[in-house]
Amino acid sequence: MADLNQPPDDFVNQFLDDYFAECEEHLAVVRAGLLNLERFVDSSIADTAQLDELFRSFHTIKGISGMVGLSPAEQLAHEMEGYLRVLRQGEALLSKEGFDSLIEGTKVLEEVINAHKTHAPAPAIERTIEILREVVAGKDTSVTPAKGQPEQTQKTEDKKQWRFLFAPSQARSEAGINVNTVRARLQSIGDILSTTPLVHDGDVLFELIVSTSASESELDALKDLELTSEPIEPEEKVEPITPTSGTSQTISTSVRVDLVRLDQLMLLVGELVVTRARLEKNLKSIRTSVTPVQWRQLQEVHVAFGKQLRDLRNDVMRVRMVPIAEVFDRMRFVVRDISRETRKQVILELSGQETEIDKFLVERLMDPLLHLVRNSISHGIESEEQRIAAGKPAEGHIYLRATTAGELVVIEVGDDGRGIDVKSVAAQAPEVALWDDEGRIDFDRLLETISAPGLSTRDHADRASGRGVGMDVVARAISDLDGSLSVFTEAGKGTTFRIELPLTLAITDALIATADAQTFAIHRSSVQEVIEIEPGSIKVLENNEIILHRDEVLPLVRLSRVFNLKDKKEGSLHAFVIGTGNRATGLVVDKVLGLREVVVRSLSDPLTDVPGVGGATELGDGLPILILDVMEILNASRHVYASQQSH
Amino acid sequence: MSVENKRRILIVDDSRTMRRMVATSLSNIGECRFEEAANGLEAIERLVLGPADLMILDLNMPELHGIEVLKFVRARPMYQSMPVIVLTTKGEESVQREAMAAGASLYLTKPFSAIELEAKVRGLLAEAGDKA
Repeated sequence: MADLNQPPDDFVNQFLDDYFAECEEHLAVVRAGLLNLERFVDSSIADTAQLDELFRSFHTIKGISGMVGLSPAEQLAHEMEGYLRVLRQGEALLSKEGFDSLIEGTKVLEEVINAHKTHAPAPAIERTIEILREVVAGKDTSVTPAKGQPEQTQKTEDKKQWRFLFAPSQARSEAGINVNTVRARLQSIGDILSTTPLVHDGDVLFELIVSTSASESELDALKDLELTSEPIEPEEKVEPITPTSGTSQTISTSVRVDLVRLDQLMLLVGELVVTRARLEKNLKSIRTSVTPVQWRQLQEVHVAFGKQLRDLRNDVMRVRMVPIAEVFDRMRFVVRDISRETRKQVILELSGQETEIDKFLVERLMDPLLHLVRNSISHGIESEEQRIAAGKPAEGHIYLRATTAGELVVIEVGDDGRGIDVKSVAAQAPEVALWDDEGRIDFDRLLETISAPGLSTRDHADRASGRGVGMDVVARAISDLDGSLSVFTEAGKGTTFRIELPLTLAITDALIATADAQTFAIHRSSVQEVIEIEPGSIKVLENNEIILHRDEVLPLVRLSRVFNLKDKKEGSLHAFVIGTGNRATGLVVDKVLGLREVVVRSLSDPLTDVPGVGGATELGDGLPILILDVMEILNASRHVYASQQSH
Repeated sequence: MSVENKRRILIVDDSRTMRRMVATSLSNIGECRFEEAANGLEAIERLVLGPADLMILDLNMPELHGIEVLKFVRARPMYQSMPVIVLTTKGEESVQREAMAAGASLYLTKPFSAIELEAKVRGLLAEAGDKA
């Protein structure tokens, strides 16, 4: 007879996607929660709300892991929950060992779940479980921790407490007003201390006690909820029954959508963009056969269509955007882990967490960022003694910053460590000139050298060079995302890696240009400006063509020569200025045709993997044109010039 | 049978995966309408807006613990005969006594068997039907 407690596979399989998604959400809550909890290590105060929340997350993971038959995850979550129960009930204080075991347990739990997802062999859990049990067994019962949340009690001084009553009804529920939405609205103006169901004159009401500094007018704005409210006198102490912490589950009005469906939607918008371009072409061809009035009317509709399509595209794009905090929070965890591993004190400083990036990028950015952060701590940040000897603060700093710049997301990973030892890198790659004539570091070439595959972790000297491992992996991942990577380093001061990524990969504004009767597209975001060049103004300097632009020397690269096409014989040329400062380069084309919205089609076939080509698009006439990867073209050209110079 | 005549089963659990698992387990019963609540407060609100024929209740939930939900519900005459299955993760035996004392009709633990849950729900619904 079949074991009734062993769920059949076909029953379980239909819930696996839900299971992984829900575990992921809870693990994110757990990671954030544990970091908040760290302040309470060896403290006599226990953050009960935080402990409750962590407990519930592990409890849920345990429950659903049991249902899908993933017993290692169930066991681990059970042990974690066990320790949290002990802490919650005040039977022990959070010790350093205990906290570490929670961190370790979370890490292993995540590995177990991921291994199940990818059908990889499960990691061993026995040691982790043993440690957790030891922590629970060794609990110190001689102390009774004080319960509560110190920060919240301090803050309540200038706040007033209000008592709200909410009467649920069918009509209100249909209008979208229910206990969850009421709580969410009240949470937006203050802290809900308690929500209790009451019976009043035979009716069920919810009583919500809220601590808030909101003004009368802010309270007035809640009128649509039809609550009755009254202030509570300060001496009336209200014991929170269900304390809420900052990260506790807020009731959301959102829906979950499969990313595949959003991709599909984006694809449809992309097709609309192409159809509109085709329409534009057709319209132009009938211009002479309609009356001016008819023409104007057609144009008006067409322009409106274009604008609405652009709005639609922006909105679909926005749906896919999530705050980068999702990635950064993960890094907080990683930093903690690595700094413990390496016995270095590291402070992580985050900024721009609210910056939004395409959900697609979240997963793909995780690994490169992880590599960079790991390298910064392991190889960039010096040991405590070295830092003190160098007159630096004992703790190292790691910076993670995100901003948007036009159509780009800029992410910087920096440290205040020893900086990359350029001499040591040079010793390993003697053929590369890492300094310019004036002795300044050529950062582009440095990055290229440290990103060369096979040049990683060769020996001790390599590690000591402060550049660490896997830079080739990072560079490739960023380039696969159509992004660019740059580095800046200063001996003794630190290193910063800068990643620039397009906001979206699907549809972009592109500049259309021709060279020898071929049409090309270039991402608008990579172009600083478009200039016109008279052939006579081009000077040749050591095989390089240059012009004077804004009183600076601007090196030129002719697109026609990159693709072995014919140079334009007569008349003026156009050039895209790429990059800024002394890294600016002019990419010369025959003629710039204009700015267009294009749908990027990837060229993923390795047979068509031509250096300098980032994708393809069509402009509505059905003919494909190539989208250029300008960074790749410019880098390749520099190589050519460098080798020409060295021969 | 019209929607109004269908039996209403309220599934209360803070895990949406778990709510789906419960609903799927019971999908063969037929002539049932499932409603879901993700916390104890929402469960009470759902019951106020319309009585359920049966409630499946998790215990460890944010906002209001399942035991509190059960106590509140049982104190109201109109919900006294409603069958309530407490379905919670095993581990705390004292909780079972507490749940039964608060008025649970049945106490089941997770991981649950879909077949067993369906059988118990059918049984409780039939019993309640006989009494009515």
